[in-house]
Parts: sequence; C-alpha cells; structure tokens
Amino acid sequence: MRRIACLLADPAPPADGMADVTAKPRAGASELLHVALAHSPRVEEGDHGLVYLDVTGLHGLFGDEEQIGRRLVDAAQERGLTVRAGIAGSRISARCACRLGRDGGVTVVEPGGEAAYLASAPLSLLALSPEMDARFARWGIRTLGELAALPSAALFERLGSDGPRLQQLARGEDPRPLSPWEPPVIFEESAELEGGAETLEILAHAVFTLALRISDKLMRRGLFAEQVEWICHLADHTRHEGTFVPACPLNDGVVLASLLETSLEARPPRGAVQSVTLRARPVRVPPAQSSLTDPPHSSPRLITETIARLSALVGDEAIGAPVLLDSHRPDAVRLAPYRRDMHPSDAAGERRPALALRRYRPRLPAAVTLVAGRPVELRSKRMAARIITSAGPWRASGDWWNDSPWLVDEWDVELGDGTLCRLAHDGSAWWLEGIYD
Amino acid sequence: MVLHAESAPPPGRGPREIDVLLRAFPTGKLSEIVGPSSSGGSSLLLALIARATISGDQVAVVDAADAFDPSRADAAGVVLSRLLWVKCRGRLALAWTVADLLVRCPGFALIALDVGDLANGESSARAVFRRLQLATEKSAAALVLRAPRPLAGNAAAMVVSVRRLESGWIGVPRPTRFTGLTSEVRVLRDRARSHARPREGDLIEAGWRL
Repeated sequence: MRRIACLLADPAPPADGMADVTAKPRAGASELLHVALAHSPRVEEGDHGLVYLDVTGLHGLFGDEEQIGRRLVDAAQERGLTVRAGIAGSRISARCACRLGRDGGVTVVEPGGEAAYLASAPLSLLALSPEMDARFARWGIRTLGELAALPSAALFERLGSDGPRLQQLARGEDPRPLSPWEPPVIFEESAELEGGAETLEILAHAVFTLALRISDKLMRRGLFAEQVEWICHLADHTRHEGTFVPACPLNDGVVLASLLETSLEARPPRGAVQSVTLRARPVRVPPAQSSLTDPPHSSPRLITETIARLSALVGDEAIGAPVLLDSHRPDAVRLAPYRRDMHPSDAAGERRPALALRRYRPRLPAAVTLVAGRPVELRSKRMAARIITSAGPWRASGDWWNDSPWLVDEWDVELGDGTLCRLAHDGSAWWLEGIYD
Repeated sequence: MVLHAESAPPPGRGPREIDVLLRAFPTGKLSEIVGPSSSGGSSLLLALIARATISGDQVAVVDAADAFDPSRADAAGVVLSRLLWVKCRGRLALAWTVADLLVRCPGFALIALDVGDLANGESSARAVFRRLQLATEKSAAALVLRAPRPLAGNAAAMVVSVRRLESGWIGVPRPTRFTGLTSEVRVLRDRARSHARPREGDLIEAGWRL
C-alpha cells in the first residue's frame, strides 16, 4: 500500500481554526524540496508551499512513519524552516493531516482510516471554487464526512463529473498518481580552443560546432531552446558572457549558430578566448499548426533571424515589445524581448479612436511665457509660436516614497499655426513633451 | 462626397466609414498617410495598428524619430504584446534598412513606418521606396508610411491625406480640457481597390479622442 507524506512550510495563521488553503507560496519552498529529496526519490512540488513525497518502503531506512515524519521535521528545522508533516495513504489525506496538525508536529493517518479521519474536517480543506462552496453551503454540507455520505448518483446528476471527484477526495481517495519533480534540464556544451581564438571567425567556428551538438540533443528530445547563454573564458582569466533570447524557441543548429554569431559580433570578446561554453534552456513547444484547417504560422526561424539582425543593427535596448509600467510618470514604458504570440485569438479588446501623441525623446526644453498663470507663448528648438488655447494644469506626481520623486504639471495647448502640443512643467523648467497628431 | 466616421465630434452621426477605410489599406502594397503635424495622421496609423493586433496579427512599428507613444497605443486598443517596436533614434537610413528587413520577413501583417519630419523627399528616398515596394509585393504584409508630405511617389499604391478640421475643447469662458480633434481623410490614390469604397477623391471625417 502506497504511503504519502506531505510537508507544509510556515503555514499561514489559522482562520476560523483552519489554515488558509489559498495562501501564497511561502519562502523556503526550494529548501523544503531539498529536504524531501534527501529522503525520497519520488517528490512532488505542490501549490501553496506544499511538498509531497512517497515514503512507501522507507521504514527500513528511517523507522516507522512517526519517526520518518519526525526526521523530516527535524531536517527542515536544521534549514531554518518550521514545518508540519502529515503521512497518509493519499495526497489529499496527507495534506489534510498537515493542515489539521500543529506547527512542528507529525500527524500519521493509519492505513485505511483516511475516510474516518477526514469525516469531521471542514469542507474548506478541498479548496473549492466560490460557486461550489456557496452551493454546498446552501445544501448544508459543512464537513468532508457529510459530502462523502451523499448518494453518488444524485451528486453526479447535480454537479456532473465534479461531484464524484470531490466525493472521492472527501473520502481521502486521490486517483491522480504522484507527479515526480524533475530537475530543470540544461543542455551545455564546451570546447577548448588550443592557443586561444583571437578572431571572431575561429570563435564562430567553435560556436557553430557546439550549436550543432546542442541542436542534436534538443531534437532527439523534441525540445527547443528558449534561451542560450554563451560564456567565453579569456586568456586573462576573465569571463565574457552574454545571453541570447530568440523571438521563438528554436532547435535548428545552423540558425542557432548564426544567431549566436550575430550576438558575438555585436559584443565581441576583449581578448583571446581559451574556451567557450554554450548553455541552452529547453522548452517544449506545441505544434505550429494546431489543426488541419488552421493556417500554419510563419517560420519561427525567419522571424528569429530577422529580430537578431535588427537587434545587432539598432541595439538590444531599441527593439522589443512595449510594456507599460505601473506608474503615472509620463512615458513610463519599457521594452520586453519580443516573443511571437502563439495564441493570436486570446485577449483582444476593441479599437478605440484615440488621439496619438508623438513624443520628443528626450523631451525638449522650452521657454513659456505665462499671463495670469496660463501659458501664452512657447519658444523651443523646434517651434516658437503664440499659444491661442490652453487647458491645464493636469498635475501628476509619484515616487515620493523613494529617492526619485517626480512631479509634473501638464498642459495641452494649441499654437497659432494650429499645432497641438503637450507641455510639462516639473517645478523648475518647462518642457515640450510631444505633439498631438 | 463627405462621409462621417466615429462619434466625436459630431457624436453618433454617419456610418463607421473609418473601418471601411482601414480595411482598404492593401496587403502586399506600400501605402502612405500624409498630413502635417496635428492633422490626425498618426492617429489614423494607430487605428490601423489597433485593428491588426486586435484581429490577432503581429505588427512592427519602425519608429524613425523615436516618437511612438505606447500609452496612447494602449488607449487606442493596440495589443502591445503583438507589437514589435524598433526605435531608430533619428537615423533615417537605419529606418529604411529595418523596414526592408521586416518586409522580407513573413509573420507581420502590418509594418508601420513612421518617418516623422526626418525625410524631405530627396531622390535617393524615391529609390528606397521603389525597393520597399518591390519587397512588399512579394510579402503578405501591408507597409504603411506616415510622413508629413508625400515621399513614396508612384511606389505607393494607396495614398491618403489627412487634414485637421477642428480641435475639441471643453470649458467656458476658458477651456479646461482638450478632448481631441476631428480630421478629414481624403483618398488621393487607390490603385488596389478602385472598384470599391472608399474611392479616389472620397472624403471621410474621423474623430480622435484624448
């Protein structure tokens, strides 16, 4: 009979006598994973700071289940973690034992006693959706035992397949097997360059060979590289390294090599290279054509090559997908690496007839004449004119809680020649921010 | 013929002719939006970008003058994650190269080339546009140029000019808020869809809100 242990690190403070199952993952999740992996080869990383491990057959090594649980708690304590341990015949029972236990304690549910143990436990342990929670509340179902006792056929009729599934969980039966944690796979290849490579051609040749080897490994496992790091060990014992993120995950060695070559050309090493290492982070990519009727996506290879060439031309910091920052500061935007949207039908709104603003970057210093507190004349490097209409000021400020506070009064103005501008005053100077167009 | 589009201002009048106009920009062709500053030309380009990204297409913006404002694009409904923004920081020759590379790369439905007031219509630029036109004809992308004055000459299959009709202000006796502007879009040339509306010479009125 399979036995599962559950570890919960630093549980949230109990609410209504129960721990909050929706709590965010706690710090030390990786430490907890290490503790579990030191005791069992089959470990699953759960949500909300939980780790499950298969403790079947461990009694020969660590003693009975109480001792195994105690050993796990002590090992976590050595790493500075306060944990609870629960051991039972299924993940759901072990998790509930964990939640119902006390900090630093071990709760063991005897084999076959899961349903009886869970009978008095509150329904909230199942982490139900709000709708399902409200429905059970209307029915007067408060505990797992009450749910387990309902007639299965009637439950199926009312809740569909969710009904029997929840009832199984309420009885401590978890049909899903443990999903063992696997360390992230990194593909790495290195090459020593005899006498050191002093030209990019020699280095590119070595990189080409390494890229082909990595590509071969990726293809054999049906994976793609979503990020490639290159590290050059120089003759002066320093390292020259960089990261390349293709717009689409790739596993074509020739393309990878040419992209890496472009990346190295943009940032050439400062001296002779004695050895070079490539490290690829793999990812599994769904097929480009999801059904027979869908048109195939454009070639990821061409897009990636084009973006790499553009990056080399304009610089990495001048190309990407714009991301608005959570700030009211004017022009608060950053560029994220452009990744082709693989699901084009998702998350689209509707077009709105918005007025465009053409920004000056950097914004232009301006001299503004005020009459009765309103701007009446503008002089800047680009334009000088009388202001015939103005609206403002629109005041914004922020970051006063840190070292770089800002404050700006914005004005929308129309010049005598019909140009519509946005002006800004930051408390000390006027700026021409842009032109409405 | 004058057609009214959008609802501001005047609100609620006329059919949504602007959508007809946006659909008229041909794929596999070079098009041009011309008009001076504050005419609404960039807003029309933004509407084109929004329409493409909302329908799931990828769009590239070649920003010669580094003038593109993503927050206004977001206000226009542009799906920013489907947008590739290439900033050329005032280097016009670089903008031509970038546009050329993008046109030859399948995967973008629209390439918006905004040259601001950097280009002055010299003959070398005409050669660039001829080259871009030939590259665009082999692709499934629409290449749309935004410039204050016509630059592409005969290379452009569609040319629309944008003129500001009026600006909108709220508040009396002094304005307290700028609300947007109304533009008049005239189709100067439409080689691609001469049989369908809008035809050459058609006028479309469009309102852009702040």
